[in-house]
Amino acid sequence: MSHRMRFWSTVPAFYQAQLRLTQAAKKGLGDPVLGELVVLRASQLNACAFCVDMHVANLREAGVDQRRIDLLPVWEEAGGLYSERERAALAFTEAVTVLTDGFVPDAVYERAAAQFTETELAHLLAVIVAINNWNRANVTVRQPPGEEL
Amino acid sequence: MTNDATNAAQGTAAAAGHAHGPRMRWAKLAPEVYKAMIGLDAAAKKGLDPTLVELVNVRASQLNKCAFCLHMHTADARKAGETEERLALLPAWEEAAGYYTERERAALALTEAITVLTDGFVPDAVYERAAAVFEETELAQLIALITTINAWNRFGVTTRLAPGQG
Repeated sequence: MSHRMRFWSTVPAFYQAQLRLTQAAKKGLGDPVLGELVVLRASQLNACAFCVDMHVANLREAGVDQRRIDLLPVWEEAGGLYSERERAALAFTEAVTVLTDGFVPDAVYERAAAQFTETELAHLLAVIVAINNWNRANVTVRQPPGEEL
Repeated sequence: MTNDATNAAQGTAAAAGHAHGPRMRWAKLAPEVYKAMIGLDAAAKKGLDPTLVELVNVRASQLNKCAFCLHMHTADARKAGETEERLALLPAWEEAAGYYTERERAALALTEAITVLTDGFVPDAVYERAAAVFEETELAQLIALITTINAWNRFGVTTRLAPGQG
C-alpha cells in the first residue's frame, strides 16, 4: 500500500482542531488505559496500520499486560482478561465504529450506560468518534506506520 | 449545531412525540468536546464549495441514518441553492446520469467509501477518481469534511438525536 498523500500537513488547521477534539475527549474520560484499549480496538476494526502501531506502543508504555494487548481483537472470548467496564466500553466501541452494522443497538448502549456515568459515557463516545476520525483519514491516505504525519 | 433549520423544526419533533431519544445530551455533558467539534467543522469546510459540502453531508448522513443530521443538511442544502430534484435523487446518484457533475460524483463515491470504511477501505479506483478532479489541498479538505460529518453522525445516531432536538 503506497502513501497517497501527506494529509495532516496539507490541512494544518484541521490537524490542530482534531488534536483539540482528541484532548477534550480523553481529558473528560479520565482513564488513559481504557482510552487506549478503546482506540486500539477501533483502529483494528478500521484496519488503520498507523494507528494500531501507535496505540499498541502507547499501551506497552503504560505497562499494560501484553496478553491484554494481544487478545484485544477477541476480547469477548478472552475470559477474565478484561473487566466488565472494559468489556462494555469495547462493545460500545465496536458498535459506534461499524455504525452501519446495527446503528448502536439498545443492548450495547445500555450495557455501557450501566458501567459509566452519563458524563463519562459522553466522553467515551467522544474518544471513539475522535479515533474514528484519525482512522478514516489515515486509512484513506494509506498513512504508513511510524511515518511522520 | 444550532441553525434556523433546527429551531424551526423543534415544534414538529416535540409534537411527533418520538419514542426514542435522545439517549443523552452529549453536547451539554461534554461542552469542551462540542466546542472542539465546532472548530473541527469550521476547519473541514474551509475553501470548499457550499453546494458540494451539503451534498457530501447529506449523503453521509443518509448512509449513517442520522435523522438529525439529514434534517439539518437537507435544509442547509436548499439554503445553498440546491434543487429538490438533486436532493431527491441523491441516494441513487450513480444512476442519475446528468444530474451531478463528475466532480460531484467523484466526491460522492469518496464519501461513500470513507463513510462505510470497513466495506473496502477506500479502494484505489475511488481514491484515484477523486484525485483526478480535485487538486491535493481540495482533496484533503474533502477528506476532512467527510470524516467530520461522520463524527457528527456518530454522535447523533449513538445518542438517538431526533430531528430538531438540540
